[in-house]
Amino acid sequence: MSELLVVEDLTVTFPTTRGLVDVVKDVSFTVGRDETVGIVGESGSGKSMTSLAIMGLLPRGAVTRGSIRLNGVELLGRTDRQMRAIRGEQASMIFQDPLSSLNPYYTVGLQIEEMYRAHRGGSRKAAGKVVAEALAQVGIPEPDRRAGYYPHQFSGGQRQRIMIAMALVCSPALLIADEPTTALDVTVQAQILRLLAGLQKETGTGMVFVTHDLAVISSIAARVLVMCQGEQVEYGTAEQVFSEPRHEYTRMLLESIPRIDDEVVS
Amino acid sequence: MARYLAGRIAGLVLILFMVCLFTYLIFFKLSPDPAVMICGKTCTPERILQIRTLLGLDQPFFTQFWDFLSGLFAGRDYGSGANLIHCPAPCLGYSFQTSQSVWEMILDRLPVSATVAVGAAVLWLVIGIGAGLLSAVREGTWWDRTTMGLALGGASIPNYVLALALQYVLVVKLQILPFPSAVAFSDGPLLWLQSYLMPWIVLATGYACLYARLTRANVIDTLAENFMRTARSKGLAPVLTMRRHALRPALTPITTIFGMDFAALLGGALITETVFGLNGVGKMAADSIAKNDQPVIMAVTLLAAFFVVVGNVVVDLVYTGLDPRVRIR
Repeated sequence: MSELLVVEDLTVTFPTTRGLVDVVKDVSFTVGRDETVGIVGESGSGKSMTSLAIMGLLPRGAVTRGSIRLNGVELLGRTDRQMRAIRGEQASMIFQDPLSSLNPYYTVGLQIEEMYRAHRGGSRKAAGKVVAEALAQVGIPEPDRRAGYYPHQFSGGQRQRIMIAMALVCSPALLIADEPTTALDVTVQAQILRLLAGLQKETGTGMVFVTHDLAVISSIAARVLVMCQGEQVEYGTAEQVFSEPRHEYTRMLLESIPRIDDEVVS
Repeated sequence: MARYLAGRIAGLVLILFMVCLFTYLIFFKLSPDPAVMICGKTCTPERILQIRTLLGLDQPFFTQFWDFLSGLFAGRDYGSGANLIHCPAPCLGYSFQTSQSVWEMILDRLPVSATVAVGAAVLWLVIGIGAGLLSAVREGTWWDRTTMGLALGGASIPNYVLALALQYVLVVKLQILPFPSAVAFSDGPLLWLQSYLMPWIVLATGYACLYARLTRANVIDTLAENFMRTARSKGLAPVLTMRRHALRPALTPITTIFGMDFAALLGGALITETVFGLNGVGKMAADSIAKNDQPVIMAVTLLAAFFVVVGNVVVDLVYTGLDPRVRIR
């Protein structure tokens, strides 16, 4: 299987008032075509910075070293213009909070359409058809009419469906999902996960799934990268990582999951 | 939407009625006897009584208030028989000083105040928002710091200081501009522009400084929003990202403040008009207060309240057009 995304020795450094801080240190992993790789870790472990580095969306001042290759093409060191052509077209991203990630002033249709037209051009009318298809694909009923709705008129789960429709409208090779289910109800979480897994199978998109939730990861990812304080502490198949964790931190993470048969300490 | 509008207009009418009532009450209870003032120096008790009857001042408060209110909508008559004076609607009475119809005085002076307000508004919007935007985009640079420092200073200068300083420098020392006077547009566009330039600059300075700081803060907040990260992650061109996704959310709240500032200014810029000798509503207010010309004071108070209240409703309506979260619930 040829690799879609190859990340090698990725280091992200931020200048702070207390000198340079490495928020990501020597992280390496690969994502195959139509494969899902999970990145797990607690807040501040560098998992979001890793995904932003792939998209070239790190905050100003951040310095990246190492190598990120998408379809064999090096992404680090590209100009902003070159990265713009890649963003949305070859790699796209969905975020944790779908409400604040959508602009409240514009209809969801326009927000999907502008992305499609930025990469593919064409008339608004043609793009409108694509938008309706994308919305239908993620299970939004009456997509033609709903495209004219504003983000606040949808439920939380629907908003995340819209984000997914947007991310996939240009059929990117890679989808980065940064805590896509964290802000959602548990039942909605399951629906979104099922949708993502289904769409991935259908479209053959490679996926990087970032989360702090091990239960979610075990249900969706084939391979798992565990991060702690910017460092990669464990990397292997999901089975391997979960059944025989080699690192103390992974063990701690696993033990921190509350189980229904746990004794209640009172 | 129609129900919302009807509610707002009903509220507007109620507030204006309350403003009328309270202003009338204040002037009725707290001011010296107008009849004495009109009568002047050679006055007899009979003459004072006569004037009282003529103006209806011998009537109880609510009768007088009713006469005043109905005069606004239907006009009213003063006196009777051969002495009858008809004051057509909207009747705001006659100036104690000049015996002119107050409504006509306002019609006469409102264009001056409107010219002052519109010109200043254009200046402060362009300069304030422009400077604020540049500052936000170049946050932390020397441009940003200098502009914001100047804005803080500019917002702190009182209007009359700035007005006098400008006059001293531009008119007395450099002699670039003629001494300001009330000039109509028909007297020549250049002269007209010259006479309004200083009032515009004086009024616009304070507002421009506030708007620059406000715009900067709003744009910086908006740039940090999650949807801006989404816009960048979509690979949109920076110009589109900025114009569509950042500017509209950042500038929408400014319309609210602008509507109220502008409405307040339409009611007359008291200090600026007085310093520059412009015959606007503001100067009329200053003069009428100095001479205790009650009908005029009443009228300018009501006019200012009217603009502020109507301005508020207009702002709300415009806002529903700009923000879909308010429009569609």
